[in-house]
Amino acid sequence: MRSGRLCGSLGRNVIAEDRDAKMDPFAYHRPESLADACERLGREGARILAGGTDLIPQLREARRRATHIVDVKLLPGCAAIAAGDDGGLVIGAAVPASVVARHPEILARYPALAAAAGMIGSLQVQNRATLGGNICNAAPSADAVPPLLVFDAQVTVSGRSGERRMPLEDVFAGPGRTNLEPGEVLTTIHLPPQAARSASHYLRFTPRREMDIAVVGVAARVACGADGLVSEARIALASVAPTPIRARGAEAALIGRGLDEGAIAEAARAAMAEARPISDTRASAEYRRALVEVLARRALAHCRDRLDEAFAGRAE
Amino acid sequence: MSRLMIEARVNGETVTALADPRDTLLDLLRDRLGLTGTKEGCGNGNCGSCTVLVDGEPVNACLMFAVEAPGREILTVEGLSRNGELTDLQRNLADSGGTQCGFCTPGIVLSATALLARNAAPSEADIRLAIAGNLCRCTGYDKIVRAIALTAEQRRR
Amino acid sequence: MDAPAPSIGQSLPRVDGRDRVAGRALYPADMQRPNMAHARILRSPHAHAVIRAVDTSRAEALEGVFAVVTAADFPEIPLGTMIPMGETGADMWMVSLINMARGKVFWVGQPVAAVAARDPHVAQAALALIAVEYEVLEPAPDMDSAMREGAPVLHEHVVTKGVAPAAQAPSNICSRTLIERGAVDEALARSPARASVSVVVDTAHQGYIEPQAMLAEVSADGFATVWTSTQGQFTTELMIARMLDRPLSKLKVVPMEVGGAFGGKILIHGEAVAVRLAEKCGRPVRLVFGRDEVLQGGSGPTMGVAIGIDVAAEADGRLTAISGTYHVDAGALPGLSPSLLMQASAALYQVENLRLEGFDVVTNKPRTEAYRGPGGIQGAFAMEQAMDELCLRLGMDPLEFRRRNAAVTGSTMPIGTPFPSIGLTNILDAVAAHPCWTEPLEPGPRPRGRGLALGYWRGTSMTSACHITIGGDGRPVVTMGAVDISGTRTSMTQVAADQFGLAPEDVHVQTGDSKSVGYSDGAAGSRVARTMAAAIVEASEEVLDQLRVRAAGLLQAEAEQVAYANGVFRLQGGSAITLAELMQETISSGAVVGRGTSTKLPFGVEVGAHVCDVEVDEETGQVTILRYTAFQDVGRALNPSAIEGQIQGSVVQGLGWALTEGYDYDAEGRLRNASLLDYRLPTALDVPPIDCVIIETPVPGVPYGLRGVGEVPIVPVAACVANAVARAVGVRTRRMPMTPERLLAAMRARLSRDA
Repeated sequence: MRSGRLCGSLGRNVIAEDRDAKMDPFAYHRPESLADACERLGREGARILAGGTDLIPQLREARRRATHIVDVKLLPGCAAIAAGDDGGLVIGAAVPASVVARHPEILARYPALAAAAGMIGSLQVQNRATLGGNICNAAPSADAVPPLLVFDAQVTVSGRSGERRMPLEDVFAGPGRTNLEPGEVLTTIHLPPQAARSASHYLRFTPRREMDIAVVGVAARVACGADGLVSEARIALASVAPTPIRARGAEAALIGRGLDEGAIAEAARAAMAEARPISDTRASAEYRRALVEVLARRALAHCRDRLDEAFAGRAE
Repeated sequence: MSRLMIEARVNGETVTALADPRDTLLDLLRDRLGLTGTKEGCGNGNCGSCTVLVDGEPVNACLMFAVEAPGREILTVEGLSRNGELTDLQRNLADSGGTQCGFCTPGIVLSATALLARNAAPSEADIRLAIAGNLCRCTGYDKIVRAIALTAEQRRR
Repeated sequence: MDAPAPSIGQSLPRVDGRDRVAGRALYPADMQRPNMAHARILRSPHAHAVIRAVDTSRAEALEGVFAVVTAADFPEIPLGTMIPMGETGADMWMVSLINMARGKVFWVGQPVAAVAARDPHVAQAALALIAVEYEVLEPAPDMDSAMREGAPVLHEHVVTKGVAPAAQAPSNICSRTLIERGAVDEALARSPARASVSVVVDTAHQGYIEPQAMLAEVSADGFATVWTSTQGQFTTELMIARMLDRPLSKLKVVPMEVGGAFGGKILIHGEAVAVRLAEKCGRPVRLVFGRDEVLQGGSGPTMGVAIGIDVAAEADGRLTAISGTYHVDAGALPGLSPSLLMQASAALYQVENLRLEGFDVVTNKPRTEAYRGPGGIQGAFAMEQAMDELCLRLGMDPLEFRRRNAAVTGSTMPIGTPFPSIGLTNILDAVAAHPCWTEPLEPGPRPRGRGLALGYWRGTSMTSACHITIGGDGRPVVTMGAVDISGTRTSMTQVAADQFGLAPEDVHVQTGDSKSVGYSDGAAGSRVARTMAAAIVEASEEVLDQLRVRAAGLLQAEAEQVAYANGVFRLQGGSAITLAELMQETISSGAVVGRGTSTKLPFGVEVGAHVCDVEVDEETGQVTILRYTAFQDVGRALNPSAIEGQIQGSVVQGLGWALTEGYDYDAEGRLRNASLLDYRLPTALDVPPIDCVIIETPVPGVPYGLRGVGEVPIVPVAACVANAVARAVGVRTRRMPMTPERLLAAMRARLSRDA
């Protein structure tokens, strides 16, 4: 029987068949090399354990089953935050959300991601939940994913046949499903460097202030040229489609324009039009669409204010 | 499935226990080690009654497997008092109405302990955020918040 | 010996507080017994189905399984098997079906079988091996579907009671209750001002943080002991005994610490099942519920309602008529009377013409149970909003309106009898003078509003018993029949200290198990502090009478000449002996035992008024509570800090239901939000500090003039918020909880109406 998790939601309802289910016995592995990890993950019934804040309730309620649990927290690079070769940032998949939320460089350069990491579950959950887990659990409501999408994040995936790097957007196959192959593990998340004149923000709506799941989440990032016009825009949405999505129409509506009320309103309406939410116990589709418009507008207004501050700072 | 021998650091001591691999840290503490001060209110990380400190940070013991415990320093409510002497925070909670039914209390004690360790002068909002992962149904939180604020104030004096 | 500081009226810290903060307070799930087995319950996946067959053989064959029980292991209890519990008694047919289904299941989560095994993993695995054959029936998961033409009938034997001519056909409407005086329709028609409000309130849960937990052990000689988390050890003992046909001489209930109850731990939810399992496997058995079981079918949430109110007044604000129709959703088993909530909702207004009509409706949901002033908040949510609408029509200040119509001592209650002592006008005066009402509401970035609502709850008295013995050093030991769910040991320590003129630390107050103290009713209905105080007063007097005789012997005088004060027996103007010395001298001269019982104490009706300021996000529908003040008449404040704690906790529970808490069922009767993630209790960030204003209007004939405290502070909360929201944005959701989505929909509906 489902009791819900804090890190993400697959939107599944309680189903009676779950009631009598049990957690299968499993073998626990804590590999220290990627090769070892991939070998173990290739076994039948193997599942990755990172923070466990989604996996443990899923196993307990038999929403997922596992005979091998492979703990990836000791894998090289998985637990560190490091500078990227391109001037960006590389975040290990097993870095806890609380570390992301407090990291000075993420706060300064990728504030939308820091904000989102600080919203996942409670502080207790943030101390366990990882960025990689938030991605690979593939919940439509994953808070960290929209910010990562607006930063054009890429991920490195390791498997028995080696490494591959892919855009984050390509990871998601559907609710609870990724495009990772059996035996593959997501090890690092790459954030490219940010343009000088750019701002980002993440907003979500929940009925409670804490310990809740995004009814809707909206991340926005805007970069402006020297003329003050929008040169690059990203908007990504949570909880309004089978996977977190980019709102490309809304992004296009901003390009080449000043970030004024009219442009913001138009982009927000476009984002609403791109949302294709479902109705469930947390909200109706109609309410979710309404919230997309509101949150997109507010997130973009926040970006505009940050950019205005930056301009003002330079003028002094 | 055979049981596993788990050696862990709990409340400053090295302890060993046989555990089922499916046991959570909460099961290990309560059922295998007899440390029943840590409570189970939901089993899914939604109530905070099982909050313990792992390497100084609050964590839901129900959302961590017992097999993940080795190598970590775990602190439960039983580990706070020394020679039967409660901490100032515990005394303030007890003496000023910060506990009623008491079921959420150990978790709140640990969340607040972690807060005061990293923030000597928390605002009311800081305190409320620090215990937002701990549901309390009896007190309305007011007297808990005040007891934590009082403790911080007394320590600064 | 000097008189100690007075203990009554002091904010004495909880006498059991340090054990709680140290994690040493013991709840039943913390208990271990040698050779203990672990139990799990198999629950129905269907909201309405006939049980064709249950095959437990595969579960019994699993290694590590010690016993399996089904309805076949319990005697069948016919409808109407009443036990004396509460004011009206409880039907053991109903209680037994909450613990184990028989022949038919009526809700998702109803118990169908139970297993005891070596460990919880094995017990859980065994559940999956029990084969239950169901014939699934169409469910009626809500009142609309239960009352419509052609609805599936839950109980073939139930016909609507209280209608004329008498009903013949089976119905899901179990009873009709009518309270009527005057000519309501006429008064409504002729009055210049009139308002109507109808509301629907979702089923909600008490939300105690400790799931049900119990441990049962049956000795080889056949004596059963049950350690459990309950509001009443004696009522629990009665229910277990009746469900098992077990003599009370072979059963003891030991009440452990209770991790929150609020009405939800009055009935038993597995205790008898645990005893039966323990008998069958010859080991102690511990049964601990998971949160999903607590929320879905393992325990009773409290009733949802649909209420329609019409009120009318003269142009000067004098109320002329109240008319209300109340449908209460009892869940699957009948017997929930809406009478108390009907009365409570209208009690605080003097009105000539009154008609309240209520219906008890069964649906395919768990049988609902009590929750803090059961029905009070739902009734007030309708009535206090109707009164607020009437004020808006009249253009009258809502406080002034209440002052003009306030019930006073001696005015007529809804049931037609005169009001006992109430202090409503004192409360209204206090509101009028308080900054929360007099200070203007500061404008903010979004619309703000201030709301006022009243609340009433009668509470009850029933039976409380205690006895007092005196230790060899002269220190009294009070053993009470009351479970401590609200700081009772602390407040009764204050009472006993006061009675003996001793310091609180020189008195010990404990809760007895069901074999060590006299029968007491459960801790419910805002009754324990008042009635147990009365019992302690009586027992203290009896103890002192016994001791005076002894003291007289030692002082060589007659007992009548001996006065007692502050730990000293004294002859007028002469010699004296301390209580401690007396006991040291006479410890072997026979036991000193004082008995106290309280049975028919006058009610200590509870009245409160709440004021709150809210801010509404017009684009999302989210409500922020900016400020909250609760006024309450407690008669006399035994322990002001504990009373504030009760009020603050109540208000926050009310805010939860008002804004975010409500059961969400699908069409098949399955709960869609059976977790503390989606059933949203308020967190510390969702609520402001709650200011409390305590008013003292003593009740005559009650020791210290005590009133009930614990229930009424939840009653006005949702209406208070709704009235504040209405004044901020001009709409009412008419639904509770007033979720952001519902409020946004209401605001948009008004916009499209206006356009």
